[in-house]
Amino acid sequence: MENKDKLFKEIFETNSKKIFHLCYGYTGDEDSANDLLQETFLKVWQNLDKFRNKSLISTWIYRIAVNTCLTYLRSEKRQAKDELTDNIIENRTEEFSEKNEQIALLYKSISRLEENDRLIITMVLDELPYNEIADISGISEGNLRVKIHRIKLKLTELYNQHARI
Amino acid sequence: MQEFDHIQSLWQSHSVEVKISPDEMLSQVKKEVAGIRSRSLLNILGMVLSFAAFAALMLFFQFNLWTTYAGLSIIIIAVAVYTLILYKDYKIISENDFTAHPNEFLLKLKAYQLNKFTIYNKLYWFYATALSLGFILCFYETLGNLEPLLQTGIVAFTIFWMVLCATILRRSYIRREKERLDLLIEKFERISEQFEEQK
Repeated sequence: MENKDKLFKEIFETNSKKIFHLCYGYTGDEDSANDLLQETFLKVWQNLDKFRNKSLISTWIYRIAVNTCLTYLRSEKRQAKDELTDNIIENRTEEFSEKNEQIALLYKSISRLEENDRLIITMVLDELPYNEIADISGISEGNLRVKIHRIKLKLTELYNQHARI
Repeated sequence: MQEFDHIQSLWQSHSVEVKISPDEMLSQVKKEVAGIRSRSLLNILGMVLSFAAFAALMLFFQFNLWTTYAGLSIIIIAVAVYTLILYKDYKIISENDFTAHPNEFLLKLKAYQLNKFTIYNKLYWFYATALSLGFILCFYETLGNLEPLLQTGIVAFTIFWMVLCATILRRSYIRREKERLDLLIEKFERISEQFEEQK
C-alpha cells in the first residue's frame, strides 16, 4: 500500500499539470477542470494495479482523462459549455490585460470545436507526439494527421473571427 | 490574421496551477463518503438518545396505571427496533473503503440507498403507528390530571408533530438523501464503467 501511495504521488506530480490543462481546455472552467482532474486521478489510483506497461503511463492517463472529459459534460447535471466559457471571461475582467484577453479568446474558440476535436487539439497544443495522440484517441495515425490539419485550420479561423469582434 | 503557431505559443504561455495535492484529492473523496456516514451516524445517535430518555422515564418515575408502562414499553421497543435497523443500514457503508474497493463499495452504496428508501417508507409507517399507540396509552394517565385545555393542547401538538414528521420532514429528508446518493453513485459508476469497457 505504501509503495502504491508513493508511486501514485510520483505519477500525480509528473502528469497532473498537463492533465489539468487538457481538462481546462475542454471545459474552459477551472472548477470543472479540477473536478475532472480529481476524477481522472481517482481512476488512476484505483486501477494502478491493472496498468500493464503496454503503453507509456502518460498515454494511459491521457486516455483515462479523455474518456472522463467526454462523459463528464454529457451528464445532464453539468452546465452548458458556453455558460462555462463565458464565466471565465467574466471572472477575469479584474485582471484584464491584452494577453489575458487573447487567452480567453483562445478558450472560447476551443469551446466552439466538436468535443473530440477539442481534446485532440489540446494534446496537439501541448506538443504530444502524434503516435501518442493516435493511441489515446483510438484513431489511426494517418487519419489523425488529416484530422489535426483540419482542426488547426478551424481553430485558427475561429480565433481570428473572435479577435475581429 | 493570426497563425496556428501564435495560438500554440499563447496556449503554452498560459500556465495553469494544480491547486490540489494527491493526498488532498484522495481525502476529499473520502470526505464525501464520510459525510453520508456521519449523517447516518447522527441519525442513530438521535435515536439512541430518545431510547435512553424513554427508558429513564420508565425506570426512574413511578406511574400508577399499567397503560403508561405498556405505552412506554411499546415506544421503547419501537425506537430500539428502528435504531437497530438504521444501524444495520449504516454498517453496509461503514465497513468498506471506497478508494480501496470501488466496485464493491458501489454495490454497497446502492444497497444502502435501497434500504434507506424502505426504512423511510414502508417501515416508517409501522414505526409511526407503534409510537402513536404508545403515546395514546401514556397520555391516558399522564394527561389525566391536567386542565382540559392543556390536555387538548398537548394532544394537538403531538398530532401536529407526528404529521409534520410523517409528511413534510420525511419527504424532504428522503429527497435530499436520494439526491446526495444519486450524485455519488453516478460519479462512482462513471469511474467503474470506463474500466469495465477496457477490460
